[in-house]
Amino acid sequence: MTQAGNFVPLEGAIGSHFGPALPESVGHPSSMTVTVEGAARQTLEQARTRLVVVGALFGLALLVVAGRLVDLAILGGAGSNNQVRVAPAAARVVRADILDRNGHVLATSIATASLFADPQKIIDAPDAARQLATLFPDVTYGEFLQKLQGKNRFVWLRRHLTPRQQYDVNQLGIPGVAFEPDERRLYPQGSEVAQVIGYADIDSQGIAGIEQSFDDYLAKGTDPLRLSIDIRLQHMLHREVAAQVEEFHAMGGGGLIMDTHTGEILAMVSLPDFDPEQPGAEPKPAPGEPDPHFNRMTLGVYEMGSIFKVFNTALALDSGKVKLTDYFDAWHPIKIGRFTIHDFKGDELPGYSSVAKIFEISSNIGSAQMVKQVGPEAQEQFMDKLGLTKKMSLEVPEVGTPGIPRPWRPINMLTIAFGHGISVTPVQLVSAICAVANGGILRPATLIQRPDGAVPQGVRVISEETSDTMRRLMRLVVTGGTAKQFGNVPGYLVGGKTGTAEKIMLGSYAKRHANLSSFVGVFPMTDPRYAVFVTIDEPHGNKKSAGFETGGWVAAPAVARVISSMGPLLGVPAVDPDSPVIQAKMEIDVNPVGRHIAPN
Amino acid sequence: MAQITFNEPEPKLGGKIKSLPWFFILMVIAVGAIGGGALYSAANASFLPWAKPHLIRFGMSLLVMLAFAFVDIRVWFRLAYPAYALMLALLAGVEVAGKVGAFGAQRWINLGFVQIQPSELMKIALVMALARYFHARSSEDSQRLRTLIVPALMILAPTAFVLLQPNLGTAIMLMLAGAAMLLVGGAPMWLFGAVGAAGLAALPVVWRSMHGYQKRRVMTFLDPSVDPLGAGYHITQSRIALGSGGLFGKGFLRGTQSHLNFLPEKQTDFIFPLLAEEWGLWGGVAVLGLFALLSYYGIGIGLRSRNQFGRMLAIGLSVNLFLYVFINTAMVMGLIPVVGVPLPLISYGGTSMLAVMMGFGMLISVLLHRDIKISRRYPLGD
Repeated sequence: MTQAGNFVPLEGAIGSHFGPALPESVGHPSSMTVTVEGAARQTLEQARTRLVVVGALFGLALLVVAGRLVDLAILGGAGSNNQVRVAPAAARVVRADILDRNGHVLATSIATASLFADPQKIIDAPDAARQLATLFPDVTYGEFLQKLQGKNRFVWLRRHLTPRQQYDVNQLGIPGVAFEPDERRLYPQGSEVAQVIGYADIDSQGIAGIEQSFDDYLAKGTDPLRLSIDIRLQHMLHREVAAQVEEFHAMGGGGLIMDTHTGEILAMVSLPDFDPEQPGAEPKPAPGEPDPHFNRMTLGVYEMGSIFKVFNTALALDSGKVKLTDYFDAWHPIKIGRFTIHDFKGDELPGYSSVAKIFEISSNIGSAQMVKQVGPEAQEQFMDKLGLTKKMSLEVPEVGTPGIPRPWRPINMLTIAFGHGISVTPVQLVSAICAVANGGILRPATLIQRPDGAVPQGVRVISEETSDTMRRLMRLVVTGGTAKQFGNVPGYLVGGKTGTAEKIMLGSYAKRHANLSSFVGVFPMTDPRYAVFVTIDEPHGNKKSAGFETGGWVAAPAVARVISSMGPLLGVPAVDPDSPVIQAKMEIDVNPVGRHIAPN
Repeated sequence: MAQITFNEPEPKLGGKIKSLPWFFILMVIAVGAIGGGALYSAANASFLPWAKPHLIRFGMSLLVMLAFAFVDIRVWFRLAYPAYALMLALLAGVEVAGKVGAFGAQRWINLGFVQIQPSELMKIALVMALARYFHARSSEDSQRLRTLIVPALMILAPTAFVLLQPNLGTAIMLMLAGAAMLLVGGAPMWLFGAVGAAGLAALPVVWRSMHGYQKRRVMTFLDPSVDPLGAGYHITQSRIALGSGGLFGKGFLRGTQSHLNFLPEKQTDFIFPLLAEEWGLWGGVAVLGLFALLSYYGIGIGLRSRNQFGRMLAIGLSVNLFLYVFINTAMVMGLIPVVGVPLPLISYGGTSMLAVMMGFGMLISVLLHRDIKISRRYPLGD
C-alpha cells in the first residue's frame, strides 16, 4: 500500500481527512512564535474549509457534465433528438450501370446531393426563399416560399444539385435546410436507346423498359447489366430509320437487328423517341399522333402484310402438299362472302404462276390459293409454332399481345396468307423470319447478352430443306422481285421480303394512303447471320420514290444502307454473287415444269 | 540570487522513490494511453499523424513529471516569482515576436528547438506565484483589500495578454484558477459577489471588444440552430457524436461522425465526442471519472501539505486540471460556449500536455515534501 493510497480522495472523505491533520500540525514544534503559529493555524483551517467548498463545486460541476452526457447519450439531447441525422455507416449503393454487349455505357448513375427543408425550422422563410431563388434561377421565389412555409416537416427543395450548387447553398448557411445524399441516372446515348432501356424516375426507380424489369437487380448495384444491344448497330439503324421517316414525312418508324442464330436483339429503334433523362419533357402527343414512349417493336402489334408470305410459303412447302414446281391461279380475284381478294394494280400475274413467281412478285391471290392446300388448322398450328399467336416473353415490361382471329375461319386463313387479319409485334415477326432462314430453328428473342455457350437449343419449325428453299426465295425477292431496286447490297447476298400493309383505321382498311411499309432483310443468304428489319408508318410517296409508298421503296433502302454499314463492321466477308458456288446455292427456277393446281 | 539554504533537510531520493504515489501515476498513464488510442482512431486506425507523436511526447513528459516530482518544494517556492515574470515576458513576446498560428491567433513562441505556448505554462506560473504570495499572508491579511491588490494584478496581467492573443479559453481558465486561489487563500467572500456583479455589468463592454468569431461562438452557444452549417456546425456535430454512441458506444475505430469527418477538430478540442461515440456513455463517464479522481487526488495532496505554499500550489494545480476537463467537456456538450480548451493528455498538442505533466510533477513534489516547513517571511534565509 502506498502512502498516496491512504488518502485517495472521495467526496465524503475530504472532511474526515481534515480532522486528523490538524492536531498533527499542532504537534510539530516550530521556531515561530505562538501567535504566528495560531495565525497560521487559522489560515490553514480557513483554507481547508474553503477547499471543501471548492471540492464540492468541482463535484457539482462534474456531475452536471456527467448528467449532460447521460442526456445526450441516452435521451438524445432534449429538443434536438428528432432532428439528429447520423452520417450513413456505409457508402451509399449506387444503381448499377447498363452496358451494351461490348461494354459501352448505356445507363449509369452519379452520386449527387438533394436539397430539402424542414419548414418548421426555417426562421425567415421569405429571406430563405429569396436567397435560394437567386441560386436557382429556374425555380421561382414564390415556389420556394410556398414550400418553405408548408406544414410538413420535410419538403424537397431541389433534387440532384451540382457540387457547385451544393457549395453555394452551404455558403448561404440557411438554417432548416439540409442535403440528402442522392443519385442521378444518366443516359449517355441520349434518346438513341431510350425505348429499350426505358428510364428511372427521380428516385432512381426504374419505371420503363429494362430499367423497370431489372429494377431490383440494378438497385443492388453489384454488377452492371449487359444487354445484347450493340450501340454501333443501334446508331446505324437509328440513323437510317430516322432518315426514312423524315424523307417520306412518315408518322414514325421502327427497326430491329437480330442475330439469326441466337435470337439476340442487336439493335432496336422506335420513332418517335424521347430523352430518357427528361422523360415527359416532350409535348403530349395530339390525338392520332404517336406516343414517343410507345415501343413499336415490342408493344406495337401490326398487320405485317406480305412479309407473312414467307411463313405462308414455308408452311405450304414444309407441309409437303405444295411443291416448288406447282402452279397456282394468281389472276382471278378470290371472292369469299362479301370480300374480294385481289392484287395491287400492275402486279397482277396473268394465268397460272409458280410458287417462286408468286413469292417474288408477292401475289396475294397466289398466296391465298396456296394456303388452301394446307387448310386453316395447319396454318394456325404453324403460326402457333412460330410464336406468333401468343404474347412473347421478352425482358421489357412493354410487350404487346398479338391479335389473332377467333375462330380461325377459312376467310382468316386466306388473308393471313398475305399478312392481314393477324397482328404481331415486330420482334415476334423477326424471330420467326430468323427461324425460317437459319435452317428452321426458332429461338426466343432476347435483349440480354447470352453468355458464351448459352444459346438455347430452340424449336424446329420447318425442315432444313424447306429453310434452304426459303433462303433462295428470299434472295430472289432482292435480285428480281419487289425489293430489287433497293434491297440489294453488293457482296452481302441479302435476301428478304417486303411488306406493305394497309392500316386499319376505325375498324376498316384505309384507302391507299395509310400504309405500314416494311422490309426484312437477312444476310448473307448462303448462311444467314443477321436479320435487319425496318418499318415505316404512313410514308408519303415522293418524287424520288416515284410516288411509291411500298416496303420495297420505303423500307428496303434503309435496310440496305444498314447492311452496307454493319457488314464490314462485323467482319462479314463480302462475296462475289456471280461465283459458281454462290450461284449454285442461290439458284431457283421460276418457271419449272410442274402441275397446275386449279382453284376450287 | 542568494545561495539556496534550506531550513530542513530534504528527504533522501530513495525515500522519495518509495513514497511515489503509484496509483496516481498509473491513472496519469491511463489517461495518456486513452489519448493515444483516441488519436489512433481519429486518424482512421493509423499511428500517424497524431497517435505516435502524442505517445512519444507523453513518454517524454512522463520523465519531465518525475523529474519535477523529485525537485525540493523549496526550489519551486524560490522559482515561483521568477517563473511568473518569465512567462509574463514570454506572453508579451508573443504579441511582439509571436508567430501567426491558425486562424490568426498568435499563441506560439519559437525557442529554436521547440515551439511553445507561453499561455499554457502561464497557467502553472500563475498558480506558483499566487501560492507563494499567499504563503506569506495570514487569513487576516487576506481579508484586507490592500493585500489582494497584488494577486489581482498578478491574475489580470497575463489574462489581459492572453485575451489580446486572442485566447478566450485560457483567459477564462486563468481568471477562474486565480479566483479559486484567492478563495482558498482567504479573500473575503463578499468580494466574489462584488466581482461577479461587476463582471456582469462589464459584459456589454467585453462583448464589444470581442472578436467576430468569439461573438459567433457565444451566439451559437445560446442557440446552435441559428447557424447549423456555420458556427453551429461544431456543436451540432459534436452533439450528434455524443448522442450516437448510446450506452455502450459503437466500438473502437467504429465512430462514424469522426471517421467520416463530420466532427471538426476531432484530434484536438473535440476529441471527447469521438471517445463518447466509440465507447458510449460508460466510456465517457469513465474518462470523466478518471479526471475527477486525479483532481481530488490533487486536492488530497494539498490537504496533506504542512506548508501553505504546497497547499496552495496543489489546490491551484488541481483547479487547473479540473478547469481543463470541465471547460472542454462542457463545451463539446453545448453547456458552455466553444472557447478552445483541450482535454488534457488526450487532445493532440504538445505544450498543453507538457504543462499538465509539469503540474502533475509539482503535485507529486508537494506530496513528497509535504512535511517540509517553509518560513513565512523569509523562508530562504534572505
